[in-house]
Amino acid sequence: MPDRTLMSTEKKEPILPDPSGRRPLLERLGREWLFFDGGTGTILQEKGLKGGELPEKWNLSRPEDIIDLHCGYLNAGCDIFNTNTFGANALKYPEDLSQIVEAAVALAKEARRRTGREDAYIALDIGPTGRLLEPLGDLPFEKAVDLFGEVVRIGAAAGADLVLIETMSDSYESKAAVLAAKENCDLPVLITNVYDSTGKLLTGGTVDSTVAMLEGLRVDGLGVNCGMGPEQMIPIVKRMTETASVPILVNPNAGLPRTENGKTVYDVDPETFAQWMKKIAAMGVQAIGGCCGTTPEHIRRTVQCVRGTAPAAGHEALEVQGEQGVPFVPNTPKHRTVVSSFSQAVEIGEKPVIIGERINPTGKKKFKEALRENNIEYILTEGLNQEESGAHILDVNVGLPEIDEPRMMETVVTRLQSILALPLQIDTSDPAALERGMRLYNGKPMVNSVNGKKESLEAVFPLVRKYGGVVVGLVLDESGIPETADGRIAVAKKIYEAADRYSVPREDVVIDGLAMTISSDTKGALVTLETLRRVRDELHGHTILGVSNISFGLPQRAIINAHFLTMALQMGLSCAIMNPGNEDMMCAYRAFLALSDMDPQCMGYINAYANAQRTKVTTAGLPARNSMADGRNDGTPAADGRNDGNSAAGGRNTGIDAADGKNGAGGTGTGSGSAMSLGPCIERGMGKSAADAVRRLLDSGIPGLEIINNELIPALDRVGKGFEKGTIFLPQLLMSAEAAKAAFEVIKETIQGGEGESRGRIILATVKGDIHDIGKNIVKVMLENYGYDILDLGKDVAPETIVETALKENIALVGLSALMTTTVVSMEETIRLLREKKPDTRVVVGGAVMTQEYADAIGADCYAPDAMATVHYAEKIFG
Amino acid sequence: MNVDKREIYRYLGYQGRVPDENVLREVDRCLEELREAVTPRFVYRQYPIERFFTDNIERPFLDEKPGAELFIEKPFLDEKPGTELFIDRPFSEEKPGTELLSIAGMKIQSRSLCRNLRDCKSAYLMAATLGIGPDRLIARASVAKMSRAVILQAAAAAMIEAWCDEVNQKIIKEAEDQGLYCRPRFSPGYGDFSLEYQKDFAQILRIQKEIGVSLTQSLLMMPSKSVTAVIGLSPVKKECALHGCEVCSKAEECSFSRIKALEQQP
Repeated sequence: MPDRTLMSTEKKEPILPDPSGRRPLLERLGREWLFFDGGTGTILQEKGLKGGELPEKWNLSRPEDIIDLHCGYLNAGCDIFNTNTFGANALKYPEDLSQIVEAAVALAKEARRRTGREDAYIALDIGPTGRLLEPLGDLPFEKAVDLFGEVVRIGAAAGADLVLIETMSDSYESKAAVLAAKENCDLPVLITNVYDSTGKLLTGGTVDSTVAMLEGLRVDGLGVNCGMGPEQMIPIVKRMTETASVPILVNPNAGLPRTENGKTVYDVDPETFAQWMKKIAAMGVQAIGGCCGTTPEHIRRTVQCVRGTAPAAGHEALEVQGEQGVPFVPNTPKHRTVVSSFSQAVEIGEKPVIIGERINPTGKKKFKEALRENNIEYILTEGLNQEESGAHILDVNVGLPEIDEPRMMETVVTRLQSILALPLQIDTSDPAALERGMRLYNGKPMVNSVNGKKESLEAVFPLVRKYGGVVVGLVLDESGIPETADGRIAVAKKIYEAADRYSVPREDVVIDGLAMTISSDTKGALVTLETLRRVRDELHGHTILGVSNISFGLPQRAIINAHFLTMALQMGLSCAIMNPGNEDMMCAYRAFLALSDMDPQCMGYINAYANAQRTKVTTAGLPARNSMADGRNDGTPAADGRNDGNSAAGGRNTGIDAADGKNGAGGTGTGSGSAMSLGPCIERGMGKSAADAVRRLLDSGIPGLEIINNELIPALDRVGKGFEKGTIFLPQLLMSAEAAKAAFEVIKETIQGGEGESRGRIILATVKGDIHDIGKNIVKVMLENYGYDILDLGKDVAPETIVETALKENIALVGLSALMTTTVVSMEETIRLLREKKPDTRVVVGGAVMTQEYADAIGADCYAPDAMATVHYAEKIFG
Repeated sequence: MNVDKREIYRYLGYQGRVPDENVLREVDRCLEELREAVTPRFVYRQYPIERFFTDNIERPFLDEKPGAELFIEKPFLDEKPGTELFIDRPFSEEKPGTELLSIAGMKIQSRSLCRNLRDCKSAYLMAATLGIGPDRLIARASVAKMSRAVILQAAAAAMIEAWCDEVNQKIIKEAEDQGLYCRPRFSPGYGDFSLEYQKDFAQILRIQKEIGVSLTQSLLMMPSKSVTAVIGLSPVKKECALHGCEVCSKAEECSFSRIKALEQQP
């Protein structure tokens, strides 16, 4: 395990002159033109590399060809050239990785010697692993870090001058690679990503979100390579020059690829390429070169046109008269405050943003329960609901004394970021949990929080320096919370100074002015507001508040909260931590934007409220929450200023309330769902109507348990029977189950202690190697409906994990799902291990490839062809 | 993309029936969401097909008919230097003399594929994907609303088929320009064409780099709505079926089979 402790990663070695006379790269990068080499694959193919052959093998089998490749580029005048290690990692070379990487560096050195280009830098070239990271894929993040780390250690020891991570199409894998490079060597780390013609990474990241994350990770240069030609890259490069502060690197292909006789060919010739590169150089980038399809000739002409001088000695003959060159312009700091997710960047300071506060156990019984029971779905649903309500960032606090907080933080952060696109704010006082969250986070997080205490500054800032983040600075210190704005500003200054010491840019600190309830000190709000104003006007910083603290202990808190929010926004509040489901506060927020010229044509406001019926009015005189049925896409500052749907999870329409309520009455003949009785509501899959129906029944004095036994269960049984007979189909079965669940929830709230009786506890898991969990999730919904408690272990679950859980929790029934023939093996292994360690546990299996014969062959107790079959088997087991 | 809604209903298990209004509405909504979320990409290239027998003994090739053009023959075990097949794969030893195919350096032992590619001297290898968007939508719906996850899943499955058809049409056009006719596309996992070949597709078409598709350890593609396939090119014209079910020997037992669905239609 590489050293991942905090302080050790930030030791920047003093830059020493190289005995070869080669100047340290960082003395040159960003201060003068530097040129990368061009394509490797294309040239090796010409030398006889086959379409699917692994090019790195040639480091051992055909070393002269590799030296030749390097010499071509060195003679063409490139300053930084790549080792032939693009695909070299232990997944592809489990046996001879060291030899291949060491040979690659040695061949690069030999080329440098032969060409007399000792001034050139050898870049240890690192490409993607070819695998997708968890949770959408099956490669664990830390495994990816280890894979990259291994290559970095070998390459650095062999004598590479820098690490160049390139052709990365996924932000998460980029992060793993950068961390691996930083943790395993002291060399400069550069990275270039592949964007497509829509300006996004293949996994959805934008230039803004990618730049934010990578600069947070403190790379020494970043940019774009591969994917397209120079012409098509221009919009991406332009956006980079507007967002990035570190040197920008641009390595395009020789145009867009075309296929000819099974070969990929690129059409842009050296002269045309060089002319485009001249344009790109003039846009304010600092280092350029080529990628697929470019040749030494492309690079030679590019060097000539951009540098305007002769290339390396021996090639003066090719020098073209009168090349002017392009004046070099260093990049400048942009001082933007940005947090990002895998696909979105949210800028703080332009427009106030809303940070959803609901993922937090404080004062929430159900949330605490969910944490204790590892009920991640409950937590995720809180996230989805807040996104739906219009939050821009989500605070994540999973701290509870009796749980393993670092582990829970890791789980919740990774699951949340796989289903929604909002940036997260990691909220914890446990430095270990903070580091797990920041490390596993796919982007640049917000960090909640640091304060003026020495201990806090020393624990948090190194993490922010290492992983990047925008950190919330609470204006309190060893002497407590200052009572005056003067005192609070003094602490704010202290926090900014600490940021300087840890080389964290000041713009990555937002000051929390501390909202304290006015019920104990009526001057509290004024001090907080004055603190906000002075941070804005005197320190030119950004601010944040946990807004609703202001009203603690008062009745009708929403009134105070909404008005305080308006006042704080007026004083320059940049981030409001609040419940975005609180319509009073959302009204105040939207009204503020409209009144402050932050809502062009008032469209956000109009979209939110044009169709709102003021049917219900709260004490504050504001429309109640439920009346704003269509107030979704409200034009509040979504990521990158748009919510374009490509970032799949970013779409507002989560469907949580879909197919319900307003259209649910279709075909009932009553004209309105409101009067429908419970049974039909469930059979038709109408959740809201079912919940309403239950409320009516409860109001009329019928006990909850009676409703369950006389109405709910019979309705579910009717649907289940219909499904088995083939008159009702899977979507309806599930919709009914969801309606029943909504009804159960209402009843649960009324039952003493909030607990329904559990009919039994069942483990569900998709077996090792299988990452399709839809079947398992269907079964889960059905079993829950019938009153079983489910321990959902997820997908790709190792046999050992399943058996351990069964033992620990003393589980009588395990349900296993496998989609593919190839993963039935894991299912068999799981059953074998269960029989050995816990023979009394029964096993029910299902999945697309499963048959009765298969199930018998692998020793399962029951084969469930569909979700209802599992329910019946559970009934048999638990009685 | 022209998505056939009947396909969606079939994946949902409706077996020829039309879902009720509630579900129909939900299907439309899911399709709309998917259209926003997808980033369809493809890559294909044409390669010659070479044929061998495992024991190097000459004999007529599978299904070879008198009069059909002779296939290029090449010794398999003692190849010329520089032409070695670099993708190593163990073959079943029991049947010496089994027919093998080699496409773009990938050695294939598969009777079903041999059948599919008879008369073919070259083939396209293709890969197509809808991108990671649908997977995120499905993961999200699995938390929020399982019924929607199921419908998204079915709709996305129909959509990737539609996208493959679109890509396939481009290939059919290109083939026609060469005077050749396409065979139905044939994917690893069909018949006895092992899923193992996904690895070769990944390497040959560089699917990770070019279209952002990666393989899991158990050889599933991620994004999950991705397809790889061989499309044979023959000088012999045939009723060209775009789809693959009909040539799949598992069609009988597969619960999603188009053939079965047709049979069960009322």
